[in-house]
Amino acid sequence: MGYLVEGFKTAFVILFTGQEETFSAIFTTLKVSTFSITITLAVGIPLGFLLGYYSFPGKRVCRTVVDTLLALPTVVVGLLVYAFISRVGPLGSFGLLFSLKGVAIGQFVLGLPIVVSLTASATEQMENSVRLTLMTLGASPGQLAASSLWEGRYAVLAAAMTAYSRIISEVGVSMMIGGNIKWRTRTITTAIALETGKGQFAEGIALGIVLLGIAFTVNAVVSLARRRASS
Amino acid sequence: MTAIYELRNIIQRYSNRTVLDIPDLEIEKGAIVGITGPNGSGKSTLLRILAFLERPAAGDIFFNGEHVRDIDDRLRRKATLLLQESRLLKRTVFDNVAYGLNARGIRKDLTAKVHEALRMVGLDPGEFAVRSWFQLSGGESQRVALASRLVLEPEVLILDEPTASIDALSGMIITRAILKAREMLGTTIVIVSHDVDWAYGASDEVLSMFSGRIRSKAIENILHGPWQKNHDGTVCMHLDDGQAITAIAPPDGDLFTALLDPEDIILSMDNPGSTSARNTVKGTVVRMNLENGERSVLVTVSVGGFNMTSRVTTGSLSRLGLVPGKQVLMVFKATAFRWV
Repeated sequence: MGYLVEGFKTAFVILFTGQEETFSAIFTTLKVSTFSITITLAVGIPLGFLLGYYSFPGKRVCRTVVDTLLALPTVVVGLLVYAFISRVGPLGSFGLLFSLKGVAIGQFVLGLPIVVSLTASATEQMENSVRLTLMTLGASPGQLAASSLWEGRYAVLAAAMTAYSRIISEVGVSMMIGGNIKWRTRTITTAIALETGKGQFAEGIALGIVLLGIAFTVNAVVSLARRRASS
Repeated sequence: MTAIYELRNIIQRYSNRTVLDIPDLEIEKGAIVGITGPNGSGKSTLLRILAFLERPAAGDIFFNGEHVRDIDDRLRRKATLLLQESRLLKRTVFDNVAYGLNARGIRKDLTAKVHEALRMVGLDPGEFAVRSWFQLSGGESQRVALASRLVLEPEVLILDEPTASIDALSGMIITRAILKAREMLGTTIVIVSHDVDWAYGASDEVLSMFSGRIRSKAIENILHGPWQKNHDGTVCMHLDDGQAITAIAPPDGDLFTALLDPEDIILSMDNPGSTSARNTVKGTVVRMNLENGERSVLVTVSVGGFNMTSRVTTGSLSRLGLVPGKQVLMVFKATAFRWV
């Protein structure tokens, strides 16, 4: 147990003295995950809304596929994206392998089904009275769609936060696509894996504390949003 | 008076089941039309069609003399519907009331209009405009929902049981605001209400609906039975107090529901003795409603735990000396029933 206690002590020293290598991993994580979630939401929310709001042939199949992709293992996403962006892959010429852009693509693939599925569910569960109310107030079809989405904003926010939690905590994509390159593509999760492998528990614990802090903040926002939504 | 709505041969079906069948209906501009009827009688479907929220399966609608072929935003914005338990949007009270104006691109005097609408429903704009949707009671929510519609100055205001699930004070304020809207703007009001006092006190016309049809432009007594067959071609419905109502059996023998026009019930203080009427039942007067613009009164009598309504003239009323709580005899023929 002594090494664990010592690890925690050293972890706080690392965090409060601002060890450059550790903070590089933290900033890289925040940078790539912010970029990934932005693109994921920009694409996922409209897709999820369309999937939940409108009826069309094949809708059920689409829902099943999206819901199945929720359980996609990160290493499988890493493998697929790797296959596409490696030098011999169809997107090899873009030089995305072992770059943060490549990691962002992988995280986008990982987060998209979550945003689409949860947004679609939120839209489907929206009471018919919302639609009726908007129509009786004279909303045009465009206003009806936009206002319906706005009415379900807390549920959509919860979807966004769930996707962000998944993106920020994944290790498979970052490791396989980013390559865990120091100062460049090393993220919190890949750094934890590396430091633990090296027996450097203090660095691992310090990064783990930061990751937990981010996860806690995200979950606090989600639960607050859910409370507002249910009130 | 000109008709704002003309409905011709309107049929609405859900899953091949006919839920509404209206051969002919006209609603006058500026009128208050009450609609009564039991649950499932097609009232809400009719309201949604009048509010242009759904298209009938068959038939023609004329609005202000114009044949409605396509329902577009322009048309839908002329009529607005207030649901029984109106849902407020997840915004502030101000944004709720302003929503319809914003949807129409009306920016001029927006704040003044919203505040005026709130005052109409008895809510102080200074206190309520900034509140969020979840900071209101049920009655306040319904008043905000009504203000959201009144601010639009609609040609037609359609209300589905607007006062059914709220407190008495809010109900009274809503009723006043509706009548004020009609007085100030000439708004046509179509209202579904179980509140008979309200329906007959304020409405120019009352439509009674049953099984998707308008049975009469007045209230009808609906007797669901159970009916028992007699050997002499009549059927009998036993009341809780031991009395019974007798009717001529329907031609097809299918006993379901009988309708009895209030015009066909005579009120009497004494037993009429030998008469062609087969039914003389005793009950207690529970309610009397003066019909708007008529010289008649609807007298509701509780007979064996069952309410029956008779239409009498104001002259007969004073001659009989009827007051609520008084016992009276209801006399009607076994042939007066219509079966549905």
